[in-house]
Amino acid sequence: MIRQLFHVAGPALRRRLAVQLAVLLGYSVLQGVAFVLVVPVLRRLLAGDTDGVWPWAGALAGVALATAVAYYAQQMLAFQVALAASHRLYHRIGDHVSALPLGWFSGEQVGRLGQLASRGVPQVRSLLAHLLQPLCTAVVTPLTVVVAMAFLDWRLALATALGAPLMYLTYRWAVSTVARADEAVDTAAAEANERVVEFVRAQSVLRSTGSGERGRALLESALREQDAAGRRQSAAMAPGRTAFIAVVHLAVAAVVVVGAVLGLGGTVGVAELVALLVLVVRFSEPVSGMAELGGSLRSARNALARIDAVLAARPLPEPARPGPPPADASLELRDVRFAYEPGARPVLDGVSLRLPDRTTTAVVGPSGSGKTTLIRVLARFWDVDEGAVLLGGTDVRDIPADALMDHFSLVFQDVYLFDASIRENVRLGRPGATDAEVEEAARLARVDEIVARLPQGWDTPVGEGGTALSGGERQRVSLARALLKDAPVMLLDEATSSLDPANEAAIQQTLDALSGRRTLVVVAHRLQTVVGADRIVVLEEGRVAETGTHAELLARGGRYAEFWRERSRAQGWRLTPEPSVPVEAAP
Amino acid sequence: MPEQTAVPTGAPPDAATGAGGSGDDAAPRTLGGLTAAVRPKVIAASVLAGFAGLASLVPFAAVYLLAVALSEAEPDRGTVWTVVAVTIAAVVVRFLCHGAAVSLSHAADMDLQLRLRRSMAERLARAPLGWLSERGAGRLKSTLQDDVEDMHYLVAHALPDFVVAVSTPLAAAVYLAFVDWRLTLVCLAGIPCYLVGYRVMMRVAGARMGAIGAAMGRLNSAVVEFVQGIAVVKAFGQTQRAHSRFAAAADDYLETFSAVNRPILRVQSVSTGILSPAATLLVVALGGTVFVSQGWMPAIDVVPFLTLGLGLTSPVLAVGLAGNSLRSARQAAGRVGELLSVAPLPEPAEPKSPRGHRVELRGVTFGYDADAPVLHDVNMVLEEGTVTALVGPSGAGKSTLAGLLPRFADPQRGQVLLGGTDVRDIAAGELYRHIGFVLQDARFLRASVADNLRLASPHATDADIAGVIRAVGLHERIAALPRGLDSVIGEDALLSGGEAQRLSIARALLADTPVLVLDEATAYADPESEAVVQRALSRLVAGRTVLVIAHRLGSIVGADTIVVLDEGRIVEQGRHEALVAAGGLYASMWRTYQRHTEAAGGRAAIRAGDERHDGLDGQRDGRNEQIGVTR
Repeated sequence: MIRQLFHVAGPALRRRLAVQLAVLLGYSVLQGVAFVLVVPVLRRLLAGDTDGVWPWAGALAGVALATAVAYYAQQMLAFQVALAASHRLYHRIGDHVSALPLGWFSGEQVGRLGQLASRGVPQVRSLLAHLLQPLCTAVVTPLTVVVAMAFLDWRLALATALGAPLMYLTYRWAVSTVARADEAVDTAAAEANERVVEFVRAQSVLRSTGSGERGRALLESALREQDAAGRRQSAAMAPGRTAFIAVVHLAVAAVVVVGAVLGLGGTVGVAELVALLVLVVRFSEPVSGMAELGGSLRSARNALARIDAVLAARPLPEPARPGPPPADASLELRDVRFAYEPGARPVLDGVSLRLPDRTTTAVVGPSGSGKTTLIRVLARFWDVDEGAVLLGGTDVRDIPADALMDHFSLVFQDVYLFDASIRENVRLGRPGATDAEVEEAARLARVDEIVARLPQGWDTPVGEGGTALSGGERQRVSLARALLKDAPVMLLDEATSSLDPANEAAIQQTLDALSGRRTLVVVAHRLQTVVGADRIVVLEEGRVAETGTHAELLARGGRYAEFWRERSRAQGWRLTPEPSVPVEAAP
Repeated sequence: MPEQTAVPTGAPPDAATGAGGSGDDAAPRTLGGLTAAVRPKVIAASVLAGFAGLASLVPFAAVYLLAVALSEAEPDRGTVWTVVAVTIAAVVVRFLCHGAAVSLSHAADMDLQLRLRRSMAERLARAPLGWLSERGAGRLKSTLQDDVEDMHYLVAHALPDFVVAVSTPLAAAVYLAFVDWRLTLVCLAGIPCYLVGYRVMMRVAGARMGAIGAAMGRLNSAVVEFVQGIAVVKAFGQTQRAHSRFAAAADDYLETFSAVNRPILRVQSVSTGILSPAATLLVVALGGTVFVSQGWMPAIDVVPFLTLGLGLTSPVLAVGLAGNSLRSARQAAGRVGELLSVAPLPEPAEPKSPRGHRVELRGVTFGYDADAPVLHDVNMVLEEGTVTALVGPSGAGKSTLAGLLPRFADPQRGQVLLGGTDVRDIAAGELYRHIGFVLQDARFLRASVADNLRLASPHATDADIAGVIRAVGLHERIAALPRGLDSVIGEDALLSGGEAQRLSIARALLADTPVLVLDEATAYADPESEAVVQRALSRLVAGRTVLVIAHRLGSIVGADTIVVLDEGRIVEQGRHEALVAAGGLYASMWRTYQRHTEAAGGRAAIRAGDERHDGLDGQRDGRNEQIGVTR
């Protein structure tokens, strides 16, 4: 585990941890020496030689003082090392995660990472600050005494030492029995976690259907399972722990018996016997306490393993020698194939497209046809499995990641805003922008209208993730951000889906004004957005089914023509009760 | 006033406790009540732990007796073996008592965990929705799961450990006092010093623990932000900046943690040093030598002080070292208690039934934050069997208003009446048989398709379910799933936005409630399914009292009444033609809408004209059709 710790925390910490361990070892040995010094003190005291006690008492005083100092030093060192390790871990995780490809950040990873920072790192810290000391002391101090005792009376030392291997083996066995039960507890807890979140999020549905009770049944069964797994874990741990503690107590009993036999035989000094018995009885408790420490140790070890797993995720390779800078803002896909998992069904299955500089392309197609994936491989969220993506004639894999992002402005379907003011969120698009530029971008994306309505205006905090704003408002802020960045290529993925018609119209004008000046790729299903594009690409099951202008495609009478008819009808739809259909009429 | 923005971030905990304090006297499931249920087990565990503690002293005393016996010139075998036997018996007793105590207290902890989680789940099911969304699922999960776990020390260890920490040193001290009361006093001198240090520590810690919690909270949100926002920051080349926010939060947390804990640790390390075994050995050795050399006590009597002196202090240390666990357990318990004390929406004492299905809002004023109303004095009527459309600019309060019908929240002033009865006087179970809801983001449980549909009407037959699935055009899709209706949503039934929407309409059809609220029910439809969703909606509204919220004005021009909401107030209402003629807010919204939809057809026509393509005719047809419908 220490090796894993070194591995995760990095070599910088190795020295400090080594110092901490050395001091801790010193403390445990000194404490053992203090126990051993009881022997000469007691021997002289029992022999009536009170004057002869003083030098030994002085030595004991010195050792006790050194023990206290070592204890203090080791506590403070442990604290510092624990803090430094947490610091290193947070920064290493942060550095590493920033370098990972956008494709890595699935919902599951996000949850896991959050858990690591809030619980995993503190567990490692607590291992360093609180667990190493009792663990080390419980082993090293008795060992010191046994070794010293060997010089005073080898038989007593042997009787004590014989228990050690037995204790070690029992301990190993006890630890191994709980591993499986641990896993079940983790799984049950994860399931219960998920059910709690689901239960909270589904409250509006559960209540509006009056089915709160039935909704709770799912959570209830997850809670029961968690409870049962916890009890199974206890049951699984019981034999191991009991056996270990029993072995420790047996060893104590054995030493007492051997001591009595030797004492009766008159072959051992009362002082030696007393000192050893004190020690054995005294340390049976911390040693058996190791059984209780097992749980914390296991969770610290699991946390280390999880951190290690995150650090093992590989970032997208950076070009060894960057290719020529992109000649313009044209985009090209050359026979691109891509699947999210090796061997899974390809989401893009041989897509070839040329999107000339400063043209507008609309991507349409049924859900699951690969529209969002197409947009995302353009910006190198992932590397394609086959084929190539080119920006201005250069393979995106030959452009350094930072430089590549300078060419793209993205607006996603699911907007994320930072817990900061509206102004700061817009300015994120280009941190160097003047207030006037920020306000202009905001005006173009109709954010000015939101700002005017809010009491705190520009300085209104948007809440964690932007929750204080409505979906449409968040989309407008994220559009303003993208407009402010003003990159040569703008990728819009359903960027206006939550807008009301008035705002959508205004933003459509803004986008129209950009056409011919920027390369735009738009995923949309609203007619207004699609119709005006220079070219429309119809995707179907990861392949390009059709491509052309609105008029061409309409004339062809294929997929797109069908789409257009459906859309036109949908747009003209009005909600009117349909009495002709024989759905049983309400009373 | 700047406070008027409803920003649900980091609400102070007192906001919730304040709300929880009102009208919740009869709460049967408080934290105290729930802990009381497991108290017998905890007390039994403590008694057993006390016995184990006392038994653990026996070997120490035995060492003394053994030493006395063996110091005799001619040791008495009988005495020696009796002492050995008693020692071993004590070890066995300790082993059994301790084991039983641990099992009992851990069983109590598990009982309590389940009870607490259940009670909290029950609370969550009845808490106002506004409170839930303000808290967020993540934080509530953390209370239900992590906090309950963190209470472990408080439940399973605090009392037994305390009993041991008090009874064991006391017994040891009494025994030693019989041997020599003066040396006993010398040995005990360390404990007051330790206690003083401990008190100082706890005072310092208690005052500053909040700062650590706050810093951890900031770190947690920085993590969430860093991870969830990473796609955005990477896309804007701002990775460094977001990363530095996270790093700064981490540093701030560690600094706060260090600043608070370092002085505590100093005091703790020193005071622990005072009671450490080495120090106790030293005190006994020095004191004992003085006492023996002065002839105050026989040399052999120093032995019990060497053995039991150590037993005096170790339980005290154990409790002291657990201070951290105790503090975090207390904080966790505080959060659990807070959740348990949330006032649920009150249930009527004498439930009444609605007479008919006319819905009326009378002078309704409501805000999630009582000081910042979202709705001001709203009066409106939904006549039975009519369709009423709610329109207005974004942020006008449309969804908030609609949410008052199914009692997602209660208005601060005014009444919501269903069939002449205040919805607050209708039992929750009955209310939902009258009012159905289709939300803009359809939510489902990770359960089978059939179970999700049956949420609304548990006794629906398979034929009923097949019928509604066909009505929303999902029958082929569902049949193609690996397990058909038994496929689990989110596992083997992965639905698109439009499919989920249709399924939620199917659910509403199955529930067959006379009153229906549709909140942007087509907003998330995919292009290929929108028309099907629309047909499904048309069937759904037939014959019901309907309140519909829609962005697309064209879809609601046929509504019996259109209510125009602006900044939480009703500014206009009437039929479409009358409102257009009135030239108010609705008329201007309508003009914008028309320009926008015409623009689409118009732009297509121009482009088609440019390219002199014969698609022109088809295009014009499409446009005409569209305009023909909207007018």
